[in-house]
Amino acid sequence: MSPRVKGVLIVLATAGLACLFGFLYSTGSSDLRSQDIQPLDFSHEMHAGHLKIECMFCHRHAAESTTAGIPTVSLCMGCHQSIEPATPDMGRLAGYWRDQKPIEWVRLQRLPDFVYFTHAMHLKAGLQCGDCHGRVATMRQTPRAPSFEMGWCLSCHSQRGASRDCWTCHK
Amino acid sequence: MNFNRRTFLKGIALTTAGSLLPGCEREVHRLVPYLLPDDEIVPGVANWYASVCRECDAGCGIIVRVMEGRAKKIEGNPSHPLNGGKLCARGQAGLQNLYNPDRLRSPLRREGPRGEGRFTAITWEEGMSLWVKHLRDNRKHVAMISAPISGTLAEVVAGFLERIAGRLLLYDPSGQAAVSRANRHTFGLDHLPFYDLANADYLLSFGAPFLEHWLSPVFFGRAFGHFRQGRPGVRGRFIQVEPRLSLTAASADRWIPVRPGTEGLVALGIALVMLREGWTRGDIHRRKLVPWLNAYRVEDIAAASDVAQDDLTTMAREFSHAAAPLAIGGGMASAHTNGSRTLAAINALNLLAGNLDKPGGLRVAEPPAFPTTTASPPSATERDLVELAAQFKAGRYTVLQLYRSNPLFTVPASTGIRTMFEQAPFIVSFSSFLDESTAMADLILPDHSPLESWGDSPQIGLIPEQAVGLAQPVVDPLYDTRSVGDVFLHAAHQLDEHGDHALPGVEFVDLLRSNWKTFLGKGATADGSEAAWVRALQAGGSWTTPAKRASFPRQDLGPPYRSAGFAGDANEYPFYFYPFPSLSLSRGEGANLPWLQELPDTLTTAVWGSWVELNPATADRLGLKSGELVRVTSPHGHVEAPLVVSPGIRPDLVAVPMGQGHDVYGRYAARRGVNPVAILAPMFDEDSGVLAAAATRVRIEGTGKPGKLVLMEQIQDGRDAELLTIRKIRKA
Repeated sequence: MSPRVKGVLIVLATAGLACLFGFLYSTGSSDLRSQDIQPLDFSHEMHAGHLKIECMFCHRHAAESTTAGIPTVSLCMGCHQSIEPATPDMGRLAGYWRDQKPIEWVRLQRLPDFVYFTHAMHLKAGLQCGDCHGRVATMRQTPRAPSFEMGWCLSCHSQRGASRDCWTCHK
Repeated sequence: MNFNRRTFLKGIALTTAGSLLPGCEREVHRLVPYLLPDDEIVPGVANWYASVCRECDAGCGIIVRVMEGRAKKIEGNPSHPLNGGKLCARGQAGLQNLYNPDRLRSPLRREGPRGEGRFTAITWEEGMSLWVKHLRDNRKHVAMISAPISGTLAEVVAGFLERIAGRLLLYDPSGQAAVSRANRHTFGLDHLPFYDLANADYLLSFGAPFLEHWLSPVFFGRAFGHFRQGRPGVRGRFIQVEPRLSLTAASADRWIPVRPGTEGLVALGIALVMLREGWTRGDIHRRKLVPWLNAYRVEDIAAASDVAQDDLTTMAREFSHAAAPLAIGGGMASAHTNGSRTLAAINALNLLAGNLDKPGGLRVAEPPAFPTTTASPPSATERDLVELAAQFKAGRYTVLQLYRSNPLFTVPASTGIRTMFEQAPFIVSFSSFLDESTAMADLILPDHSPLESWGDSPQIGLIPEQAVGLAQPVVDPLYDTRSVGDVFLHAAHQLDEHGDHALPGVEFVDLLRSNWKTFLGKGATADGSEAAWVRALQAGGSWTTPAKRASFPRQDLGPPYRSAGFAGDANEYPFYFYPFPSLSLSRGEGANLPWLQELPDTLTTAVWGSWVELNPATADRLGLKSGELVRVTSPHGHVEAPLVVSPGIRPDLVAVPMGQGHDVYGRYAARRGVNPVAILAPMFDEDSGVLAAAATRVRIEGTGKPGKLVLMEQIQDGRDAELLTIRKIRKA
């Protein structure tokens, strides 16, 4: 192999490595949407859309806490124990309850830890869940919400005349 | 290493490969909901529970932030009268006691020879039946060494040992027994008085490290703030008399580097000047004091203590002319063979100044009337433990029980304490960690962490309020442990062959609640209702200010002063040895908590290790350099540690901090630094029996090897400063 070809190969290999490296880091290294596979095929369209269950019936801590909360398995079973399992996933839900095991959902909505956010405050300000989370009632599978980036927060804060002080969210 | 182009390229390749590794990891964020909802838990919202800090014996009130059933942060309870919302580093580090990876997680039984440290996990049923079997076979031959306990737990443990005719020793390694002894002589008090530092305007402290670890550093820290800055136009003046500049001395207006063991003599010198100049208040004490002081002359005292006559006169004048003077003594000043008498001499200064029962002086702190049926014994000292070891040797006792107490670490080996652990036929420990003493146990029945258990803490002395702290579990137990109160109650039940239920077969929490019901149902604001109990739980206890303050039962002088004795020939061992308790690790209890290990020592900025402190003049004379590994040798052994040259120490002193040098006690404590207690001579305070930790002489020599010590900052070694020499101290 001539030195020239060898040199070109090294440059190409390095460039390829740099591209791979950059790609992994630009996508948050491992935080890929392809991983958003839930343990159960839960449908917001069915529960919030078709059955018209209020968001706060399941996410019951939204009005009093920073986090909205995920329903306990016992809450799911409150209804499901009197419903004949129509899908394999409904059967699996009953299995979780029978084994007394919690369901490990994949977290879709995330904020960096340098952001202070509270659900309670936003509900108090009169926002509806869908204002940030989209029309989940029409969604068969729940995707990630719009990326919660600072510009997106600030546009709403300025429209509504909410505080735009740095310390409001970064404290 | 030959660093050529090839090595460089290899390095680059490795670094690139390493930086790609995170890409391989599939990081998925999970949301795991509860199976069943917990009514008391709202995810994301903290619950604060009030409890009592049990990291030292002061008993500060704490509030603990708990989220989703996990304790996250400990703060001071703002309404507790002792600490008023403040908390020290040790209290903050209490969380690491709970989550410590080295906690004992289940009952253990020894395997192999004693002391080898091999244990197997057993069930509680096996553990309890093994212990109860030994109790049944050895009635009247059981001795228990415990950390100071109070309230309902003391009632259970003391009551249990009384029933089986055993002996309970509440051993407090901090040497507070000398303070109690002197106070009993002088004031007829069985508990601590209230040192009204906040309202004093002149403080004369003889070695009391009240800003570091003495009695309750949080209480004194608050009072000191008020003493200095809390009153418009008044700034209290503070003199610290001690051989080494501690953090407390560094906060003083003046540090008097006294010769070790002569602190009481300095107090007598000040008393003599006060008498000579007619600066005393209270005639009765004057008459009593004259024969007490007959043997002394101010000149001799100045010569013996290295405190100039002028300084004695200045201190006497300032002390007697202050509006609210206060003299306190303790710490290493009482760790001498004459410890209690030194403290009695310091108490005499208070009598002469007439500051008893006055604001800013010494006042009686009436303990609360907490209903415990069995009185706990007074504090046991190192001498008591050595006597106990002799009784084990003679076969008087056969079962040794240990609770939160580590005599193998805090009592010098020269006392022969180890024979007790080697010869005791059966040793059972209730400790949460495998410390040196627990490692010798045959059976370990581990206690809950304080944050997992019930308890109460009547405040005996120190504050004017009558306060009882109430400790509640703030989290569910993490491991298969049981609270020591319950373990004793269950054992009592199993031993109760005749069915005469002296200790009711109830749970510890029931006994505690019934004590509280009785306590809350008494007194001016009597309310024994359920609501009152809930209020006490929410507040973290109950406290009231007594309408009328009691006065001192007695005002006397106690036995006359005696000079201190030292072990070791002055020619062979030319230096005084000064092992001082560490601010964060205390006497070793805190060494297994990484937060405390990484807390820099305030004066040297050292972390995670031991060091030897020496004056620059002495280091120069001996040709020793800062950072060098030096050997300190006493008649009873030697320790090696890096040298820290510091101007804040007398030239005839070698100081080593206590707390490090554990053989076991978990991954953070073991094999780190040295334990200065290991080379101490078997010397005790003659009256109280407290270990005379400052009564050993040593010599020091270089090893030629470099020492390893992490200093957060390069400290000023004093070479540029004016050096302190014995001649200068005498001339001053």
